[in-house]
Amino acid sequence: MAKTRGTDGSLLASLPWTLLALAFALLPHVPYLPVWITTALLACALWRYSIEARRKPVPPTLLRAALALGCFLGVLYTYNTISGVGPGSALLAIMAALKLLETRQRRDQFVLLFIAIFLVMSSLLREQYLWSLPYLVVGVVLIMTAWLRTAADDAESVRRSVGTSSRLVMYAAPLALAMWIFFPRIATPFWAVPIDTGTAISGLSDTISPGDISALSQSDAVAFRVNFERAVPEPRDLYWRGLVLHRFDGRTWSGISEPRIASDAIENTEIHGEPVSYRVTMEPTRQHWVFALDIPRQWDLDNTFLGPQHQLARVHPIDQRIAYDAVSYPEYRIDAELHPYRLGWYLELPEGRNPRTAELARDMRAAAGSDTAFVEAVLAKFNREEYRYTLEPPPLGSNPVDRFLFETRRGFCEHYASAFTVLMRAGGIPARIVLGYQGGELNPVGDYMIVRQSDAHAWAEIWLPGAGWRRVDPTAAVAPERVDAGRTGAMFDGSASAWGLNAPSMLLHNLVLAWDAANAKWNEWILGYGPENQQRFMNWLGMDDPDWRKMLLTLVAIVTALTMIISVVLMLRYRPPRRDRAARLYAEFVRKSGLTPATGETPRLFATRVQRDSPLPPTAVRSITDTYLDVRYGPPNAALLERLESDVAAL
Amino acid sequence: MSSIRWLSPSRLLPGINKAASRRVGLWARRRQGADGPVTRLQPRRIYILPTGVGLVFALMTFAMLLGSMNYNNNLSFVLTFLLIGVGFVAMHQCQRNLVGLEVSFAGTEPVFAGQAAQFRIAVANRSRSPRHRIRLYLDEVQSDIGDLEPGESRTFVLPVKTEHRGRVTLERFGIRTLFPFELFRSWAWLHMYPTGIVYPHPAEHAPPPPASQTALGHRQHDARGEEDFAGLRKFHTGDSPRNVAWKAYARSDQLLSKQFAGADMSSQWFDFDAVVADDLEQRLSILTRWIIDADRTREDYGLRLPGRSFPPAHGDAHRRQCLEALALFGLEGADG
Repeated sequence: MAKTRGTDGSLLASLPWTLLALAFALLPHVPYLPVWITTALLACALWRYSIEARRKPVPPTLLRAALALGCFLGVLYTYNTISGVGPGSALLAIMAALKLLETRQRRDQFVLLFIAIFLVMSSLLREQYLWSLPYLVVGVVLIMTAWLRTAADDAESVRRSVGTSSRLVMYAAPLALAMWIFFPRIATPFWAVPIDTGTAISGLSDTISPGDISALSQSDAVAFRVNFERAVPEPRDLYWRGLVLHRFDGRTWSGISEPRIASDAIENTEIHGEPVSYRVTMEPTRQHWVFALDIPRQWDLDNTFLGPQHQLARVHPIDQRIAYDAVSYPEYRIDAELHPYRLGWYLELPEGRNPRTAELARDMRAAAGSDTAFVEAVLAKFNREEYRYTLEPPPLGSNPVDRFLFETRRGFCEHYASAFTVLMRAGGIPARIVLGYQGGELNPVGDYMIVRQSDAHAWAEIWLPGAGWRRVDPTAAVAPERVDAGRTGAMFDGSASAWGLNAPSMLLHNLVLAWDAANAKWNEWILGYGPENQQRFMNWLGMDDPDWRKMLLTLVAIVTALTMIISVVLMLRYRPPRRDRAARLYAEFVRKSGLTPATGETPRLFATRVQRDSPLPPTAVRSITDTYLDVRYGPPNAALLERLESDVAAL
Repeated sequence: MSSIRWLSPSRLLPGINKAASRRVGLWARRRQGADGPVTRLQPRRIYILPTGVGLVFALMTFAMLLGSMNYNNNLSFVLTFLLIGVGFVAMHQCQRNLVGLEVSFAGTEPVFAGQAAQFRIAVANRSRSPRHRIRLYLDEVQSDIGDLEPGESRTFVLPVKTEHRGRVTLERFGIRTLFPFELFRSWAWLHMYPTGIVYPHPAEHAPPPPASQTALGHRQHDARGEEDFAGLRKFHTGDSPRNVAWKAYARSDQLLSKQFAGADMSSQWFDFDAVVADDLEQRLSILTRWIIDADRTREDYGLRLPGRSFPPAHGDAHRRQCLEALALFGLEGADG
């Protein structure tokens, strides 16, 4: 057992900086950490500092062991696990707090600084915002300043410490940049432990139960951003296909549970007209679905396939932000022929549920005379009768479609898509629901489209013999502006006063758009600098057929060159001071004499030797030597200096 | 950080390390040659290796690199590369912290055998930037750590243990620095071999100096003369018991010696041949003791060695001369 010794105040120069570095590293974790951990760390920091300031002994080992055990159990109790970024950073913070209490020697603080570095790292694993870059740079400067002061035996001035560490980090920056650009990125991870960042990720749910949830999320979170190669398609073509739901149990719609590959999906698709090319940068969803405009034909994402219902899905869930190029054809015909077994899927309705809807469908189908007329009649019913679009519909009970169609008549896209699909099936037309996003907001600042979670949408597809699957959006029949107008339009054109919006919030909205554009660039170029972007950048730099060997070689070459430059910069920093004018003139004289003064030879002795051994006029030699000695060691005298200069020049 | 200190190679492999460092030392000596009294540290003679902390730092950055690659997290790549860059820069800065320093031997004072000779080494910074945390070392012995402002020169002291009289040589010593982050240790070896004089160890129990050995002959009386009583002074080891003022001792419990103002007070001789001792070193030790004592009382004394003699005198220069002669007696042919 270590003996408890008193502290001697020798850490006072470095400890505050170590604490500052730790606190700064911890800052982004604070919102995620339980309050007791932050409090514990702060308390330990203050406690340790006051111990040092008052030269008290550090707490005894037994107390520290008890605290350690308590804190560890506390973390376990709070998180139920110790893996993942959340519990991991909590443990790091606890370790820092406990290490602080047993820090006796100056060098013990290195452990604290290592912990600070890991805290910065884990915060970067959790979130990578625009401000994360300045955060990490300032963090490194602070940590290295504390490091410098920890390594120093005596207290040097704060200014000098900060100056030195900032200077060294500044020298390191170009090296870091070169390594960052050229270090080969790999596509496949070594170990596939998803980072449990603890932050909620919003996305589409795999099932819908219209009538259960009574409010639709109006989250402004970005689902994905799109850069169109050419013109942006018309709003009526902006249907971002996600997943397809075809099973209905009377209340809940669900689809195939696992994304499947359909080898014939492409064969069964006829495409016409002009293609639309675009690049999607998608935020992580932890789901398999990959969003593309109806109907995707090409995409450059690995392990991503078209499923039997033409939904695009990746084999691994999307844990990180991804970007992909895709080509879609707005004019298409899919599944012109459908196997009777499949037709059965899309006609099935649960027995005895929503009976009034079934009856209505049969009546309307009989009255319409044809499938197309029936579809028109249903849409006309939604349009003409008292159906309203609302984001906060009332709950619907056990026969939700009946209740919605005949009683409440208020709902959002899911309600209309569900009711429409049930009506179609009851009327004998195969139908299904598609979940995805509709529309998006054009950001003029970055010239791209933002699709938000609030753009999530549900629509229907019906199958007609020979025509295949056709998209029908019943919501459009009720609230055409939901589909035709973009989000900004809905908010600011005409309806602005109704929403209570005016010019300042328009300005604010533009600022938000500019910020989003900066974030988009940040995501694309900094965070999204993966294998593909790197390849592209290397090509742009003129590297033919870049592979990891070439990149590593370039990396080594550039780092070597930069190291040499740094070496030269350091050499210049440490070069001898500039000699004064008299010394330079004297050196000129020595050069002209053709002799070299020996070590320890005074100017006078040297002059004697010059008078003897060199052809220079002896009087001039003597006068130069005398003048030099006067100028060098006497009071400042400009006239003498001038004379020295002219004398030396005259030789 | 005990765990980090444990990682240093010298701790892991003490035996191998010792033999290896000897060979490395010989190699460096061959490579560099002997140094002059003033040596400017050129880059090619400055060596650098990571410290334990540096190795842990390297391991940590490697782990961070793997983590960044796994999660393809570009910001943690930035952090990792920035730290790697800092390591790189620290390496160069560490080496540059020594380059161009002027090391020179600034003298040493003679010591008695058994004491540590304090070699003073001056380090001058003739550059535009300060040098930080410079320290000199000799095997396990380290000097203080010092910073050098531009143009500043600072003297570091290296103590060298001595055992025998004669000359003591400062063997190969080093100058090193851990600046800036203690991630690297850079050092230079210097082979200046400055020497210092080691006087014989003064005998603890020396017999009193033999009485009445004067330059003129062998008188029976004490060299200081006993003609005119001049007063009393404190007793010193080596004073003749005959001169002790026993009456005064009985009165005051203090041993006092009687002083006489005699004509040949200045003619006490310490004769090598007259010392009764077992061996040479013992003899020199006794002579040393006599000289110290005589010098302390500011008396004149002469020293007679075989083939060499110093006529009676006193003062620091005389003392130094005599002790040096004793220190080097029989060791260097030229002085014999």
